[in-house]
Amino acid sequence: MPSRTRGLVHRATPYAGLAAVLAVALATGAPGLLVFPLFLILVLSVALFDDRAQLVAIGSAAALAILVLAITQLGQMYNLATAVFEVAVLGIVAGSVHEVVRHAREAEATSEKKAEDLESVDERLRMTLEAATIGLGTVAADGRWLQVNDKLAAILGRGSDELLRMSLLDVTAEADRRAVDDALGQLGRREIVRWESEVHQARPDGRRSPVALAMAAISDQGAGQPLVLVQETDISARKRLDAMRDAVVGVRQVIVSASSWEQAAPTLLRSLCAHLDWDLAQYWSADGERRSLSLQTSSHKEGSNLDLDDPVRNLSIQVGGGLVGRVWQSGVAAYLDDLAANDYEQAGAERRAGLRATVAFPVIGGGSTIGVIELLAREVRHTESDLLSMLSTIGVEIGQFIQRAATAQALSRSEADHRAIYERSPIGIARVSGDGELLEGNPALLQMLEHDMETMRSQAWPDLLRAYDQAAGRARLAPLLAGITDQRGVQIRAATGGGRWLWLQLTATSIPDMSGRPEHMLVMVEDVTTVREAQDRLAEALDAQRGAFATLEKLDRTKTEFLSIVSHEFRTALTGIQGFSELIRDGGLETDEVRAYGGYIFNDADRVNRLIGDMLDLDRMESGRMSIRLADVDINEVMSDVMARASSSSTVIAEFKADLDPRLPIVTGDRDRLVQVVTNLVNNAVKYSPDGGTVTLSTRADGGFALVSVTDTGLGIPTDEIEHVFERFRRVRSGAAQSIPGTGLGLTIVKQIVEMHGGKIWVESAVGHGSAFHFTVPLAAEHATPLQRRHA
Amino acid sequence: MPEPATVGYGSSVVLVADDNEVAQRLCRRVLEKAGYMVLIAGDGQQAVDIALAENPNLILMDVAMPTMDGLEAMRQIKAARPEMRVVIASAHSMASDRERFLAAGADDVLSKPFRLGDLVAVVARLTAKPSA
Repeated sequence: MPSRTRGLVHRATPYAGLAAVLAVALATGAPGLLVFPLFLILVLSVALFDDRAQLVAIGSAAALAILVLAITQLGQMYNLATAVFEVAVLGIVAGSVHEVVRHAREAEATSEKKAEDLESVDERLRMTLEAATIGLGTVAADGRWLQVNDKLAAILGRGSDELLRMSLLDVTAEADRRAVDDALGQLGRREIVRWESEVHQARPDGRRSPVALAMAAISDQGAGQPLVLVQETDISARKRLDAMRDAVVGVRQVIVSASSWEQAAPTLLRSLCAHLDWDLAQYWSADGERRSLSLQTSSHKEGSNLDLDDPVRNLSIQVGGGLVGRVWQSGVAAYLDDLAANDYEQAGAERRAGLRATVAFPVIGGGSTIGVIELLAREVRHTESDLLSMLSTIGVEIGQFIQRAATAQALSRSEADHRAIYERSPIGIARVSGDGELLEGNPALLQMLEHDMETMRSQAWPDLLRAYDQAAGRARLAPLLAGITDQRGVQIRAATGGGRWLWLQLTATSIPDMSGRPEHMLVMVEDVTTVREAQDRLAEALDAQRGAFATLEKLDRTKTEFLSIVSHEFRTALTGIQGFSELIRDGGLETDEVRAYGGYIFNDADRVNRLIGDMLDLDRMESGRMSIRLADVDINEVMSDVMARASSSSTVIAEFKADLDPRLPIVTGDRDRLVQVVTNLVNNAVKYSPDGGTVTLSTRADGGFALVSVTDTGLGIPTDEIEHVFERFRRVRSGAAQSIPGTGLGLTIVKQIVEMHGGKIWVESAVGHGSAFHFTVPLAAEHATPLQRRHA
Repeated sequence: MPEPATVGYGSSVVLVADDNEVAQRLCRRVLEKAGYMVLIAGDGQQAVDIALAENPNLILMDVAMPTMDGLEAMRQIKAARPEMRVVIASAHSMASDRERFLAAGADDVLSKPFRLGDLVAVVARLTAKPSA
């Protein structure tokens, strides 16, 4: 045991020294005064150690040695008294030194102990700080971090070193920064000693984490600079639970106050967004056959400015397609933390709109998934399982609500519909018992027939049924009661209570009871009076229109024919005019030739002129712009004149015969126009007598009129054409007459002129025997007898 | 009533069927000057008779004629002599008329009034011998 040996050596050394000094002193007889300091040194050296027992032992030994020396050296200048004195000094010195040393030792031990204690406190504090479940740190009055623990660094999402280069304000969310800054100022100025609040801290990844922030002023004795102890607790879990609870409450509130899902959906989705802090919520509704989902409602968080109006956005989802489709298929809530990191094929528009995270949960009603609600957020986030189970619960509640609301709505709608149909229908509806009694009649029925319910039931209805049976021609009600629905309806004539006669259309339907046996009937009664009348009027109008159309068509046809005829006439005339004038122009002709050709040209030009004249005349007459200048006219003279001119024409081969009444009175008329009429009739007679024959001109008095006739023995007019000969552009086209030229205007003009004179014109004709045209002109007034006037 | 040609050296014979005397004279004057022998018919029936009797090289046929119109005459002539050339010369000049005449079998159509040069040209073209 070396330590014990060293202890023994340590303890023995003073004694050995003492013995040595004593031995030397005894041997040399050195004076006590000389030896004393040596003893003193020895004792003092022991006294310096904090070992009181050894000090007393050494001291006693030293005192004994001094006494021994004094005794052995008696008689010399060294005596006992001196020795005693020396012993006393020795004792005092040793005691006080020991005391001093002890004291010093004690003081040293105390301070060491204190230091040790301090050190352990500090260590404990540090460990506490480090191990604390709450974030702790200190900041200067300006917010600069001085110390942070790991937990705080974790809460703030930054490294400790990084934090120490930042300020509390830097890591506080902007919304709360002002308040924290104010609090720091107040703490620094010692206006308050403690400040607590729930604030959001901004993490470097952009997330805002909710914390309970407590700050207390503490003093740093050394620098005298105010320090603030900062304590932060992560309350996101608590907040999340609160939010989830609020979300459930919010959903239930919406559900209980809404009457339909359509009404509830936007509010509900907005509430989910707000409480759970998602940017967008979408409700995908399954179609009737549950083959695809389509986006039904979409709501975003207030203030969240999302633009999802992407035309290529997939608004229909198939089973199993995308997250939503998978949730629909599986009926289990699911999530994606990061759309960008997943191949979420349906979410192109969502990704483009900057949405990153999504969670979807099924809406379950009646045991199957009827829709899916999808929540989307701009930032990547981790979805906890408790959120999923909470959402699943909500999904079931919403599903139940949707089913309830739909059923209630459908019920109330069908009931309201039926009632409205019955009450407000413009059609009379009667409910009739199996034996034909009127059970109920709607307002329209009573109003239509102008009866109250009582007379309706007792009188009008039985009458109506009789009329129905008569019209339907079958035994009363039997077919109806057998369950036959009369879809076509029967129209009957019925009088109203006010005496008006109506056309009514009755359509009966039998209504079976639960067992399918016809229980009663519904009879629809429609007032079709206006329809019937309108149909009649329409038929009339249609007839009239058909007539008008035929007229128009005829007019159009005659117009086309007229154009064809007129152009043919013009072109025929122009053929000679153009051809012969071209010959003359080209020269090289004999004088006789030129003269002859000039004659042809003149004749054809004259013909064209007449054609144009006819057309203009007719136009003027028809538009009322031609007037006749009435004067006394000798019609016989007109006839002779025209005949003379006609018979002088070299081309005419017919014979002319005059049968004029010499006593015929003067007529009232326009001579030029009457000449035109007679000329036209004579020309026609000649024209339609291609093989010659006789043209007879005759006159005689007939009542107050002169009757004028032009008769030929020519082709005659077919019976079916006779009534048309005076129509415009109408020419006899059959047989030999078809190629006889003419404008088709001549007789029309003739008729116009005759009628302008107050006369009439007509024709008698037979094919192959010739035609006789007759017209009348009123006699001049002084020649008319009373009888003749009556005729007029 | 066939009329003899006044110019004897023309090798081709043209029958002009037209009821209009002025047109008859014009065509005769122009075609004889051009070296053709010209026959004249005053209506459709005459045209058929002369055509079958005289075998003209070409018939210039009006349409609107008494007793038988030009189209019927052409039909009868073509039925008997399919190779006989017939030019319809008509004052019917509606857009559809030309088609109507060609469909009826006309070899060409000449609209009245015509340029004398056109008349000569159409006659020359249809009377030319294939070898010439």
